[in-house]
Amino acid sequence: MVQQAILNGIRVLSLEQVHVLPWGTAFLADFGAEVIRVESPDHMNDRRSGPFPDNAPGDEWWNEGGTFAYWARNKQSLCLDVTHPLGKEAFLKLVARSDIVTDNFRPGTTRRLGLDHDSLVAVKPDIITLSCTAYGHTGPWRAYGARARTVDAACGLSYLTGYTGGPALRASSNYMDHTGGLNIAYALLLALYQRRKTGQGMRIDLSMYETGVSCIGPAILEAQRGIARPRLGTAHLWQAPHNVYPCQGTDRWITIAVATDDEWQCLCTAMGTPAWAVDRRFDTVLGRWQHRQELDAHLCQWTATHNDQELMHVLQAHGVPAGAVLTAPDLVANPHLRERAYLEVFTNDNAPRVGPRVYAGRPFRKSPEPPIPLRLVSALGQHNLQILQEVAALSALDIQQLIDAGVLATQPPETDKPALGASSYQARGEGTQGDPHYQEAIRSLSPQLQEG
Amino acid sequence: MLGLLDDVHVLELTNSLAGAFGAKLLADQGAQALKIEPPGRGDAARHEPPSIGGEPHPDRSSLFLAFNTNKRGITLDVTTPTGRNLLLRLLARRDVLIESFPPGHLDKLGLGYEVLRQANPRLIMTSITPFGQTGPYCHYRSSDLIAQAVGGFLYTTGRTNGPPMGTALEQTAIIAARNAAIAIMAALLHQRVSGEGQHIDVSVMEAVVSTPPNFIHQYSFTGAIAGRGFGDQTVMDGMHLTTSDHAVTLTTAGTGGNPMETWATFLDEPRLLDAKFSTRQGRARHWEELLALLQGKLAHWKAHDFMKAAMDQRLVVGVVQSPEEVVHCPHLAERGSFVTLDHADAGTLQYPGAGFLIDGTNPAHGGRAAPRLGEHNVEVYGGEFGLSTEALAVLRAAGVV
Repeated sequence: MVQQAILNGIRVLSLEQVHVLPWGTAFLADFGAEVIRVESPDHMNDRRSGPFPDNAPGDEWWNEGGTFAYWARNKQSLCLDVTHPLGKEAFLKLVARSDIVTDNFRPGTTRRLGLDHDSLVAVKPDIITLSCTAYGHTGPWRAYGARARTVDAACGLSYLTGYTGGPALRASSNYMDHTGGLNIAYALLLALYQRRKTGQGMRIDLSMYETGVSCIGPAILEAQRGIARPRLGTAHLWQAPHNVYPCQGTDRWITIAVATDDEWQCLCTAMGTPAWAVDRRFDTVLGRWQHRQELDAHLCQWTATHNDQELMHVLQAHGVPAGAVLTAPDLVANPHLRERAYLEVFTNDNAPRVGPRVYAGRPFRKSPEPPIPLRLVSALGQHNLQILQEVAALSALDIQQLIDAGVLATQPPETDKPALGASSYQARGEGTQGDPHYQEAIRSLSPQLQEG
Repeated sequence: MLGLLDDVHVLELTNSLAGAFGAKLLADQGAQALKIEPPGRGDAARHEPPSIGGEPHPDRSSLFLAFNTNKRGITLDVTTPTGRNLLLRLLARRDVLIESFPPGHLDKLGLGYEVLRQANPRLIMTSITPFGQTGPYCHYRSSDLIAQAVGGFLYTTGRTNGPPMGTALEQTAIIAARNAAIAIMAALLHQRVSGEGQHIDVSVMEAVVSTPPNFIHQYSFTGAIAGRGFGDQTVMDGMHLTTSDHAVTLTTAGTGGNPMETWATFLDEPRLLDAKFSTRQGRARHWEELLALLQGKLAHWKAHDFMKAAMDQRLVVGVVQSPEEVVHCPHLAERGSFVTLDHADAGTLQYPGAGFLIDGTNPAHGGRAAPRLGEHNVEVYGGEFGLSTEALAVLRAAGVV
């Protein structure tokens, strides 16, 4: 794994499923912590969810999914039934040699299993535990479950989101899983920092709902003074032109955000100072804002004759804040991201048919740069024996007992293979189109990144 | 406050929302955070509407108040030699500097990373900029809207047949800030062991690209290009449906793999059992019909009653709550989720906490509201630096402070 990285020597046991918690612990794995995913063959939503190469799950589909590779990279896999007494006993032996235990069960589950914070402290007094739930372990909503989209709704973000003058719309695709995962990573690093100082662990009760609320602070303050924040879509409270404008081609767009008189003059110059723009009403911030609809209508006609990415460069060269509305293929081909080696390409040693694939990278670089991590994509239960022998110090006999009791697994109990094209991305309606030439785009990226 | 980071000294020199929120994340956990603003207008966020309580006022912008809790604030013009000199003195005692100038700007002022490292080898300099320190776009201008566009966020939000819509309230700054805080914490752990600082380069564009749901590897596995429509035809899964009062959103979670049977029983609507709705693809194809069936039933519910009834049966739904409802949410009150802070101009307000409790306690309880412009000039320049009242008057008169 990672050599001499910041979290070398830190061991994390993660009872994690689906998205938010795996995203959080992935940061620790990237920083060199030994993150052990404790998995159950009966709950494999993240391994089932694909995407699979060309939407066709293979014979060992549970080791092939792209989302699993992305969110579980650099983590080890221990497929151990902690609900079985023998499995629980082995798990507690691991806890005694671990620094952090995380879960995203519903509140009450770990207590029922005898794996709650207090039970773990009994075997590891300075253990750090983090439980990520929808609403937290206390309060009247504690038993309720969530998905990212129900948290978008509950926390107020969806209410604030929508086209100008229109109804509230779902805020984003699974933003709450991501912002929640980031908060998890931050909380765990805080806990490690605190333990260094005091030698003491802690119990972190992290709620997706409250993390969502922390994303809309200004609106929370405004609501207490009766100020209603309007839904604005791509418009702005006081800037104009500030919107998304159509460009050449199908579903191609550019954003322009002009805040100052200077930027407006730059935009006029970039457009070749058309007659409509030489209008005293547009000379001032106030005039542009008051006549923003007219302004947008003129701009749409101009942008529609241009290529979005070329126009972005022209406008930026003139000092106008502008950005093309980029899609996944645009980003994979993007020269800026390529020069910064942002995207990652890695293969999956446990699923050779997957081959090299492109993944989003980390948005921060450090100087001096730490060693480039290898990308481990664990097969289900790949590290069962190694972890139980080396970490839990179980004998061959003990391990055989676990195998005989059916507590360990390396594949799902029955072959309930996901149907062709059944990965969650395929059924999201009309919003998903395909690029038949995508493999060329990936090939063009692979050698470049592998050299880097 | 729990003060987990009370031995960490942070200097914020940003004038950007991402930098402000990043420093706030540290400050809310007890870090000694000092915010430097340009004399005169101060941080640009001070002038963003709306203001809390009446007329626009630079100490009452809701955006500024929300993004700057638990910091002390001073003014300093770092572009002057005098200001540069004072900044270097301030930095000698700091662990973390967060800055967001255009790449190269601090170098031109003689305050580049190498200079700062010589002065303080432990310093963790964190640069949060729209496109990062390198690459062909590094000098491009940006905004929240532009960051959403170039980061892939915009293309994937909004109605299937509508233009790109975007997400409200500066989420691109928040995502970048959370990533920065993670990188800073890792760097602090390293610094406490090795005594070494580092330079961290955070790109808002990249923070946004790493945020939509897996759309890069989705493309690289299948060629599928994620588009809009996550919220308008997905009747059982994210679309807003109306009740007798607020909107709600359903999911197929908690149905044991039998979503339509479960929902047909719960809503007492046997027509949901029709085979054409049994698959996700089928529900997408017949979404209008499905929507009509569900709306017929949901119209008889109040949203919060519906949520309680469904959640009590372990179904997973959401109520689309307004910020006002969130402020008054009994669940949050019982958890002590909000933090009450007093501000001389904005009054007493409830602020969101960090999103987690530590050993049952909100770690951000206590603390202070955002600083008024230059509020701590005397305390810092007089106290920490030992400048006399006369000396401070000179700096003020010269426009340095």
